[in-house]
Amino acid sequence: MEYYVRRIYKAFNGEILAVPGRAIGAAGIVLLFLLGAFEISPYVKDILIFSSIFALFAASWDFLFFSGQLNLGHGAFFGASAYTSAILSAKFGLPVWLTIPMGAITGVIIGVAVAVPALRLRGPYLAIVTLAVPVILQGLVFVFPSVTGGELGLFSLPGIAESSTFVYYFCLVLMLVCVWVMWKLTDTNSRTVRTGIIFHALSEDEISARTSGINTVRYKVLAFAVSGFFAGIAGGLYAHTMKVVGPSTLEFLFSIYPLIWTIFGGSRTIYGPVVGAYLLYFLSMELLVIVPEIRMTLFTAVIVGMILFMPEGFTRWFRDKIEIRCPRCKIINPVRRRSCRVCGTPLHGTMDYAIDRKKEIAL
Amino acid sequence: MLRRMMSASVLSMCLVLVLAASFLAAPAAPSEVRIGVPGPMKAPQGDNIWRGAVLAQEEINKAGGVNIKGVKTLIKLVKIDTNELLSVSDAVVAVERAANDVDFYVGMSRSESTLAMQDVIVKYKKIIVDCGAVHPELTMRVARDYNKYKYFFKGTINSSFQGQVLMGHLDDVAKVVREQLGIAKPKVAVLVDKLQWADPIAKMVETRAPEMGLEVVGVWRPSAMASDVSAELTAIKGAGAQILFHATAGSMGIALGKQWGELQIPAALVGGDAVGSVKSYWQATEGLGKYNTVMAGIGPAKITEKTMPFWLAYVKRFGDFPGYDSSTYDAIYILKEAIERAGTLNADTLVTEMEKTDYRGAFGRIVFFPRTHQYPHDVQFGPGYDTWVVSQWLGPDNLSVVWPMGWKGVTYEGSTKYQLPPWVIDYWKKHK
Amino acid sequence: MVRPEKEEDLLQVLISGIVIGTVYAVLALGFSLIWGAARIVNMAYTSFYMAAAYLFYVFYSLVHLNIFVSAALAVMAASLIGVAMYKFLLEPIRAHETVVILVSIVMAFFFEECVLSIFGTTFRSVPPFVSGYREVFGVRVLNQHFLALLVSIVLIIGLWLFLSRSRTGIAIRATSQDREIVNVMGISEKRVSLIAISIGIGFVCVSSVIITPIYVVEPLMWMHPIIMVLAIVVLGGLGSLKGSFVAAYILAFSEVAVVNWIPMGSFIKSAIALLVMVIVLSKRPEGMFGTLFEDERL
Repeated sequence: MEYYVRRIYKAFNGEILAVPGRAIGAAGIVLLFLLGAFEISPYVKDILIFSSIFALFAASWDFLFFSGQLNLGHGAFFGASAYTSAILSAKFGLPVWLTIPMGAITGVIIGVAVAVPALRLRGPYLAIVTLAVPVILQGLVFVFPSVTGGELGLFSLPGIAESSTFVYYFCLVLMLVCVWVMWKLTDTNSRTVRTGIIFHALSEDEISARTSGINTVRYKVLAFAVSGFFAGIAGGLYAHTMKVVGPSTLEFLFSIYPLIWTIFGGSRTIYGPVVGAYLLYFLSMELLVIVPEIRMTLFTAVIVGMILFMPEGFTRWFRDKIEIRCPRCKIINPVRRRSCRVCGTPLHGTMDYAIDRKKEIAL
Repeated sequence: MLRRMMSASVLSMCLVLVLAASFLAAPAAPSEVRIGVPGPMKAPQGDNIWRGAVLAQEEINKAGGVNIKGVKTLIKLVKIDTNELLSVSDAVVAVERAANDVDFYVGMSRSESTLAMQDVIVKYKKIIVDCGAVHPELTMRVARDYNKYKYFFKGTINSSFQGQVLMGHLDDVAKVVREQLGIAKPKVAVLVDKLQWADPIAKMVETRAPEMGLEVVGVWRPSAMASDVSAELTAIKGAGAQILFHATAGSMGIALGKQWGELQIPAALVGGDAVGSVKSYWQATEGLGKYNTVMAGIGPAKITEKTMPFWLAYVKRFGDFPGYDSSTYDAIYILKEAIERAGTLNADTLVTEMEKTDYRGAFGRIVFFPRTHQYPHDVQFGPGYDTWVVSQWLGPDNLSVVWPMGWKGVTYEGSTKYQLPPWVIDYWKKHK
Repeated sequence: MVRPEKEEDLLQVLISGIVIGTVYAVLALGFSLIWGAARIVNMAYTSFYMAAAYLFYVFYSLVHLNIFVSAALAVMAASLIGVAMYKFLLEPIRAHETVVILVSIVMAFFFEECVLSIFGTTFRSVPPFVSGYREVFGVRVLNQHFLALLVSIVLIIGLWLFLSRSRTGIAIRATSQDREIVNVMGISEKRVSLIAISIGIGFVCVSSVIITPIYVVEPLMWMHPIIMVLAIVVLGGLGSLKGSFVAAYILAFSEVAVVNWIPMGSFIKSAIALLVMVIVLSKRPEGMFGTLFEDERL
């Protein structure tokens, strides 16, 4: 028993606490858990619940982007799943724990459906096709008003639970689990899970990947399916926290938001969009009160600025400031360290080493 | 290393506490009646809602404020931009955030968003007077779950009654056509939004047409956002209609008015146009919307003794006509009287007082349906209650009430008789 | 739906189709020019359509200038904004096509939000150059529709002449065929791209002041046109101007037919156009007349 505790402690100290970026991330997660236990105002709790749902949504987009597919219609997965959950629970009375997985399955189906034309297209062509999907779905909503509720949508949907604290923790934990899964699937350093490096290869150079024997078709479809699945979970959660689903759930803006959050947070990182979603969603809601007239104008201006001047995203930029990679063993170190924590190589060049040596002797 | 982690966690703890403290409920200043005014403040609906509220607040505060058990308390308005026309989630978040800062909510506009906002606000047990969203489901919920939704009241009639207003007006127009054009059974073309709210209206015209002595020659359903209805207009002319009955909630109304006037379609344009009751309609249609009629919650006629003073004050102050959602004006007065009768701001007590409301406001006599009705807490419709009006555009500043004109014995002083567009008269005189 | 006269009906569809088709052709040609010569998919293309309309409104209704002066100023100002956006935002990142799409989409929303903040959601209107209507075979057509048709035809013929006769025009055509060789041949590909973009944006602004007097000016007016333009350009074939021209009419007629004859028509007209586009891209990515380049083919 003690062995495992010690081992966990060592892993924790070595892998998480020693790397500043991860330590801050861990502190953030702890903070989120604590916030749920304190008596904070219901408004903040609701914002955080939505933030966790949108974080999952954004991460699912980033997952797809990581595999090289730019999806401008990601809101389709989200909206389709929200509608499925809503229809199943409003018209057929299915309980929440069934409707959300069913919504996720819808996300997968739509994902695979979008993957089919995507197989033959790249770059701008793919982006344009993906644009079409939510528009087509929105059209369908109006064509079958008896099922979808037409322009009024479906309302009075049941919530996930009576207690908002429960909903808070449920969404938070679910989001963390899903994001962790997605992160594992995109981990290029893992030796057990190979999808990470395959997706990375796909996004870099598809033809070379195919030449190397990777079944690009299978992995492209897999990327869309997984992305659709997690976006679907977010959609289902949204339906049962908002309790109202309408054509505005399929609107174009919902396809732009994960883009914005991801680009702000740092694309192709999976945790970047999570950070982006939490920061930006909260910020945008505050701005709604402070400067409602120019809120979105400011927002879009910020995003354009980000794309042009900080394309690596906020998390990467931040990590760059506090971390450095050892030149020899490639392990991440806090930037202040003089030598690598694992192999002892001087981190900041030999001149410093010489100076440090002098300091050490003087001491 | 460990030291750094310690300091980091201490810092984050402090951050938590600071954040938490900033969001914990600040105790309300008991010396104010805080009324939140939610609405889409970037849109004309939001303007209407806010302006009506402002006029009421200023009048009441000038007279000393609300009298709560002898203590004169001023009203404070809190503007809440819900952006509800574009985003339901924004609306929900906006009203929830304001929950600590307001005691009441008066306003709202879009039914889809209001359904969501309603759920959130009743959680906080605050009284709502919805002056903009008119879907019957909003008060049907009160019937289904009274204890949860009893805090919700309406400031104007719901859409199921609006159909009757339009039918009454159509009947009038049919009579005028019969008299002036000498056509015994006028033909009417129906052009309504391809949206659900308009379904019952289209059906209503078709069922009531025979008893009004009308023949329906066709039903056209373009998109509410359509920018070109010249195809439909040509078809309507080809069908030989003398009356073009329309109901639309979107920008199609502008295109309709403009193209109808430009093409001089020989059918009288009558009906309900959600975008038609504001002054910008004239400019947006380049004046071609003249002779069009619009259904609205208020018009420049003597609905009650308060109507004309309100109308004139509103036009003078804001340079535009009030919309049906400016009924926030009456709503705030209703709240004031209920608070004065109850002597408290306690929501549950106030609900009982609100249910007793019988208020002669600028928009009509407001009485709520009782708990046992199909639409509890909705505004009663009928002669002597809230009837809405239909007004006709006669000039850039000239909107004139043409209905009710003897409907169930009701005519408001200052109304005029409906006028047929001159080219319609000319056309039908030639083409008997 | 009750349909009175079948012939008049068909005639109405024909006439509407021709008018709308020609207008879409102008828009699509401009877009195709930009895509072909500069390889830029500018999602904010129709934002300039909206900008020109609003500027026209401002100059005419608020500053009370003469209608032709207002229109001319609006076209110039909107084109300037468009070219400036290209020069400062898109040109630096031209090489990354997907990032260009990203940036231009966000810019499109930025423009919409600017308009929303300044003008609100109230519908505005701009004045027509000619008022009244004319009866053509029993169908009433607005005179402004005729004017739009005329101007569009002039623009299209002008473009055709420019591209086939003038040196710059030929340079543009060459650039859209092979960008690297063009540099070797002594043509500044960068300059040619700029010219092509200016023409494209100019087209969209001129169309705007001619067409929007018939319609309504509102902050969301840019969405449907960009969807149609995308569908048209894809259907016609990327890089092929002839393709865009033909596809414009095909999709215009199908839109008019859908709106008139299918019950839910006006709601799904965007969806149908996009469905067409998706199918074309899946089965035959080069469209009707286009060519797919080696590095874009899979």
